[in-house]
Amino acid sequence: MIKNYLKTALRNINRYKGFSGINIVSLSIALTGCLIIGLFVWDELQYDKFIKGGENIYRFYTKRTDNTGVTSTASVPPMFATYVQQQYPEVENTNRIIMLNSKMLVENGDVKTYEEKWIATEPSFFNFFPLKFLKGEPNTSLSDPNSIVITEDFAKTFFGSQDPIGKVIKINKSDVVVKGVLANLPPHFHLDFKFIMPLSALGLPKERMQNWQWQQFFTYIKVKPGTNIQQLQNKFQLAVKKEADPKNKERGFTFSPYLQALKDIHLTSSDFIYDNAKRGNADYVKALTIIAIFVLIIAIFNFINLATARSFRRAKEIGVRKVIGADRRQLVLQFTSESVLLAMASIIISVIAALLILPSLNRFTEKNISFPFFSNPLLALSILLAGIVIGILAGIYPALFMSGFQPIKVLKGLKPGAGNTGFSSSLRKGLVIVQFALSALLIVCTTIVYRQITFLHNKDLGFNKDQVIYFDVRGDVEKHPETFKQEILRTPGVVSATAGYGLPGDVLAGDEIIVPGKEGDKTQSVNLFIVDHDYIKTMGLQLVKGRDFSRNFATDTSEAFIINETAVRELGFKTPQNAVGQPLAWNKWEKDSLNPVKKGKIIGVVKDFHYKSLHEKVSAAVLQIYSPVIAKMAVKVKAADLPKTIAFIKSAWNKFSPDYPLDYKFLDENFAIMYKAEDKLSSLLWIFTVMAIFVGCMGLFGLAAFSAEQRTKEIGIRKVLGASVMNIVTMLSKNFLKPVFIASVIAFPVAWWAMNKWLEDFPYRVNISWWIFAVAGIAALLIALITVSFQAIKAALSNPVKNLRAE
Amino acid sequence: MIQLERISKWHMQGGRPVFILKDINMTVAEGEFISIMGPSGSGKSTLLNVIGMLDVPNEGGYNFMGNDVFKMKEKQRSALYKHHIGFVFQAYHLIDELTVYENIETPLLYQDVKGSERKAIVADMLDKFQIVGKKDLFPSQLSGGQQQLVGIARALIAKPKLLLADEPTGNLNSKQGEEIMGLFKELNNEGVTIIQVTHSEKNAEYGSRIINLLDGRIQM
Repeated sequence: MIKNYLKTALRNINRYKGFSGINIVSLSIALTGCLIIGLFVWDELQYDKFIKGGENIYRFYTKRTDNTGVTSTASVPPMFATYVQQQYPEVENTNRIIMLNSKMLVENGDVKTYEEKWIATEPSFFNFFPLKFLKGEPNTSLSDPNSIVITEDFAKTFFGSQDPIGKVIKINKSDVVVKGVLANLPPHFHLDFKFIMPLSALGLPKERMQNWQWQQFFTYIKVKPGTNIQQLQNKFQLAVKKEADPKNKERGFTFSPYLQALKDIHLTSSDFIYDNAKRGNADYVKALTIIAIFVLIIAIFNFINLATARSFRRAKEIGVRKVIGADRRQLVLQFTSESVLLAMASIIISVIAALLILPSLNRFTEKNISFPFFSNPLLALSILLAGIVIGILAGIYPALFMSGFQPIKVLKGLKPGAGNTGFSSSLRKGLVIVQFALSALLIVCTTIVYRQITFLHNKDLGFNKDQVIYFDVRGDVEKHPETFKQEILRTPGVVSATAGYGLPGDVLAGDEIIVPGKEGDKTQSVNLFIVDHDYIKTMGLQLVKGRDFSRNFATDTSEAFIINETAVRELGFKTPQNAVGQPLAWNKWEKDSLNPVKKGKIIGVVKDFHYKSLHEKVSAAVLQIYSPVIAKMAVKVKAADLPKTIAFIKSAWNKFSPDYPLDYKFLDENFAIMYKAEDKLSSLLWIFTVMAIFVGCMGLFGLAAFSAEQRTKEIGIRKVLGASVMNIVTMLSKNFLKPVFIASVIAFPVAWWAMNKWLEDFPYRVNISWWIFAVAGIAALLIALITVSFQAIKAALSNPVKNLRAE
Repeated sequence: MIQLERISKWHMQGGRPVFILKDINMTVAEGEFISIMGPSGSGKSTLLNVIGMLDVPNEGGYNFMGNDVFKMKEKQRSALYKHHIGFVFQAYHLIDELTVYENIETPLLYQDVKGSERKAIVADMLDKFQIVGKKDLFPSQLSGGQQQLVGIARALIAKPKLLLADEPTGNLNSKQGEEIMGLFKELNNEGVTIIQVTHSEKNAEYGSRIINLLDGRIQM
């Protein structure tokens, strides 16, 4: 019996090539999309699943509230770990990783590199994360302050085939001993590093580690199985209120601790300001899943639409089969097996397509996703099973519908069951509406996302990030930055140079500034920029009031501050006019007993500049000259002869600091990276929108063909009666435009809502203007019209005599 | 075998019933060969469809081999005709996607006859109708007469007690028609009860009894 069904199914697929083609192609496209997205989503969900006992590991993060709103960060004060370990018996163990973003110069003889990926942590790290040791021993490898644990690849770079254990390498010029070699990190570990140093190597003073304010540590806790995490969190929130709030409130903010499960770190940390984890974005994963389902729905609806639309063609076969003894169940089985066969063909095509696309996907997502279709029988089986389910989903309604035909009617050549066709044609209209609503939704979302991203990339940041290279100062360049500046300024390719700490898009210092007042001092937390006389010029900041730092005023190096417009408001000066001349004070970082506090005046106000990503609001910024801390240098260069200029800077560097290689970067690179997630989302949205529209159009094309075919006789008669080609095209196309219109009306509020929600996360965003909807609506309409009119024109141009004779 | 009592079928037109069948009383005994005749629109096909249980009248009673047909559920009724009735159509109504062999085999599939048994039955039938050489052809590759042969073979494959034929020779030329009628006669001699609808006096003569229909009524 099944053999017979399959045979008929194959012959039917072959006989109705157009129908089968549309279905197989649209299903294949949709399934390929689903597979690709499925692989991506699956991979995103695998993070940290490999860690044994991981269900008992949590990480702290804090929500900080101040007058600009609420921000979250995974970096917490050192006392969090100390306190929970001491006070709560259900906490078995804790681990802290310090947040440090500096590059380390690693040297072994002639092999030198700067390494960004490293961590400094406590020995308990390996108790939390049982990483595989190729050599060495987890329990003792971090106990000595000058020890280091390195990964396999790192060991190869520095030691080749030698055994690294016990060997000495230099990290930032100090000797450390290799105590362990880790196997390369599993791809689904949320941390990424090349080496681990013991926290003790940093020699942090004890009192710093007893701080409740210094948010500098990523802190993990391991709890006893069965611990009520909500209770633990509540309890600790109260503790933090008591311990940290009083001091925090003085500075105008409070923070509250939260716990996130280890397995959630990867996907639920995307809006943390500071985090060292490899982060995904749960919203984007969800969005992609939804889009994949959209495309699949559109393809399944194509099948239902086309199958019911063409059912009249098969009516005779159905009638005959019933008369010679088929019961409904048998017919349902027959038709469903046809759709299952189509779905299976599609799934095989899409598996092949997914395998072909996978390398590009990996390049695009910078992941290493594998698709072990042939080596994992369970996966292969479930994919094939999914094919069967999709076939059944798509085929069951048309099967039930067609098997309900009354043989007597269809054999007489009547349209099968008038009531039935009525329902099925309104169902078809309904499904087309849903399809186009989904497409219109995607069009609107894609357009808005695209506009927002263009906006992010092109917004005037209030400074000029182009043609600026920057690097860490080291050796003699660090000791004599001014001399080095003068040296490189000798080449015409260098426009200006500035040394300090705090470049836009780079590591920034947060500190407090003191506003002396009649009722005592007020402290306010700000972003602190250590600059020199050339910073404003080099960065292209715009002064709105007052003046720049000047070498003509000797006191500028010790008593002058420049603030931004946000600081004007937050420090309570109201207007830039008013701010200039006001006193400010600051506790120096390197204490000198004579003047621990720098007291000075505001000499100028700069326009707000976006030194962080546009995901964050500009906060108060204070610029000052403070020569003890010079960490970076930024150089504005001319575009012409850039390689020559860079070569010149390099040779100057080598004269000053021959022990350190020059490691420079362009400032705008940092800004490009900031919107990478959005860039990728936008590209994916484009791809899937085009996919959805294409699949939807294929269905519409098929429907239009059937509709034209069904009305061949009518068209013939109308033409004989004098209808023009245009009349006919209009008549045939009109029917399809109404659903598109209704679809737009349904889709637009949903799109508006979704995009509004997405845009809310951006403090700087585009408006959702009405024209986007107009354009999306017109686009959907045009696409539908072009698709449909192709068939309509074909029908309208056909010879009426021939059509009528065929009837 | 068949008793029809006061069968009437109508549809409403402008608020008044238009009768397609009116007060049909009819009895058919096993082994009969009946020809139903009448002009176009006299209700012949409808009557045949009622007998074949493909159509339901508005009024009346129908007893088929001791079963009260109109009191049966849809499922029982289709089981009844599936096993006892074979249909032959004027337009043959073969399934275009299936070969001659498969067309003939299909009713057996629907009755869950086992593969080996099925093969034997179909082979016998092909033999009997002398169409073994054509078994792998598709309907479109056959002449009208050959298609009708296949249609009859298919109707007979499940060994029905009753064969219903709606103008079986309507699309055939006279020579092909004669052959089909000869075949019917033969089948009737073998014990199959046949009811056919026909326009042709000549074909009607093959039957043992003629029922004349005019405007939905049997003419005495």
